[in-house]
Amino acid sequence: MKKKILVIEDNPMVIKSLEFKLNKEGYDVYLTADGREAMEKLKTETFDLVLTDLMLPFVSGSQLIEFIKSKHPQVPIIVLSTATQEDIITDAFTMGVDDFITKPFSPNELALRVKRSLGKIANNN
Amino acid sequence: MNTFSKSFKDWPTILQINFILSILFVILAILLLGTVLYMRKRKNSKDDRKGTLKILLIDFINNFLFDEEFNKPKGLTKFKNDHLKTTFDFKIAVSQILIFNENLKGESSLLIKELFFGLGLYTFLIKDLKSKAWHKKARALFVFNKLGLEIPEEQVVAQLNSKREEARHQAILYLINSSENDPLSFLDKIDRPLTLWQQIGMESAMNAYTGEIPNFSNWLNHKQQSVVIFCIKMIVDQNQFENILSVQELVNHPNARVRRQAIVSLRKMEITEVLPVLIKNFPHEGLKIKKEILKSIAKLGSEEDLKAVVPHIRTKDRVLKIEYLKIARYFNPKLPKVKKTILNTYASGNKKIKYS
Repeated sequence: MKKKILVIEDNPMVIKSLEFKLNKEGYDVYLTADGREAMEKLKTETFDLVLTDLMLPFVSGSQLIEFIKSKHPQVPIIVLSTATQEDIITDAFTMGVDDFITKPFSPNELALRVKRSLGKIANNN
Repeated sequence: MNTFSKSFKDWPTILQINFILSILFVILAILLLGTVLYMRKRKNSKDDRKGTLKILLIDFINNFLFDEEFNKPKGLTKFKNDHLKTTFDFKIAVSQILIFNENLKGESSLLIKELFFGLGLYTFLIKDLKSKAWHKKARALFVFNKLGLEIPEEQVVAQLNSKREEARHQAILYLINSSENDPLSFLDKIDRPLTLWQQIGMESAMNAYTGEIPNFSNWLNHKQQSVVIFCIKMIVDQNQFENILSVQELVNHPNARVRRQAIVSLRKMEITEVLPVLIKNFPHEGLKIKKEILKSIAKLGSEEDLKAVVPHIRTKDRVLKIEYLKIARYFNPKLPKVKKTILNTYASGNKKIKYS
């Protein structure tokens, strides 16, 4: 059964590229362009991994991460962001994020990190 | 019609003029309305074309980058022939490639460059670089810089002294970012002053430069004052303390802006040895430089240094008086807050203030 990945990103080029690449890697990809839409989706569906930006419209990345951790604590979260400041990255890990990738990103590296995060959960289960 | 023309001739002159002008203005109004409608229609069709082409480009680029079974040479030729027909199409393709380049790195960067060449965008932009239009040259240089592509240097150097600031700016950034070991060698070739925005861009590019930072004192004798000022700022930014003596000499430079920048920079670097020279120069300097000297005394000097310049602060130099008083209070917090005593002292003719 294909793993389900929720991608939350407001940049149309990035979201299309992520969808394409992750589909090629054999995942089912669900797209949302903002935090509000993502939260609605997370209330009714479960995902195997969430890939999110931090700078999102309507709902901030941190609020979204808190929400995911409260509703789906087992779901790994990978952050994909332009932020390079140490404090932002540290805060993200403190909130329980599993990985942090800065933009510009290497799609192959991203695919490997997704695979690794999903593999960790499978081993824990 | 004959009746009309006959009766028209019988009309009073003023009515004839009015009638002709009315016809003329109606024609102009129709032409204006027609032009607005045509431009609106053209813009809408351009926007539609842009939207369609963007979607096609994103799909094509994603296939090119991520689909290993995709036939790249064939795909490039087909896409170019089917969809890139006008200058507008090429411009949209260039902007999409730049967005991809901005967001992806690693092996994707190489593929993006392959895509760029394969779609004929390199040839398109080289043509733009050789055109007479300054905005085309500036855009071409911007794209080549962002993608890190090599282009004939003479094409870039030719823009260093362009009449348009935008073209000069892009040429400067290209030369800094593409240089392996001497990013500022182009400064010897510039004949036009550097604008503040160009200096900011250069500083940012130098901070991101991964090669060896040049010795900025090489250009402290440049004929362009803006280059000298930029280099003084960069000496401080890059902590080139070995160039302190060269900067110190510039407090006696013939140009006031250079002298001012030298004073500001030496203050930032906390070079106390320059204070005696500054105090000596104080009487002969203009208001702005005097203010900088007072600030330098506040940061690097003592109350004695401050007293030494008091006789040279004129009654009408209100700004200087305020600056002086702030610094005097900084050195001596017990100085009376009542301004009258001090201001009266000044009003009576630059008498030295006695501190309690």
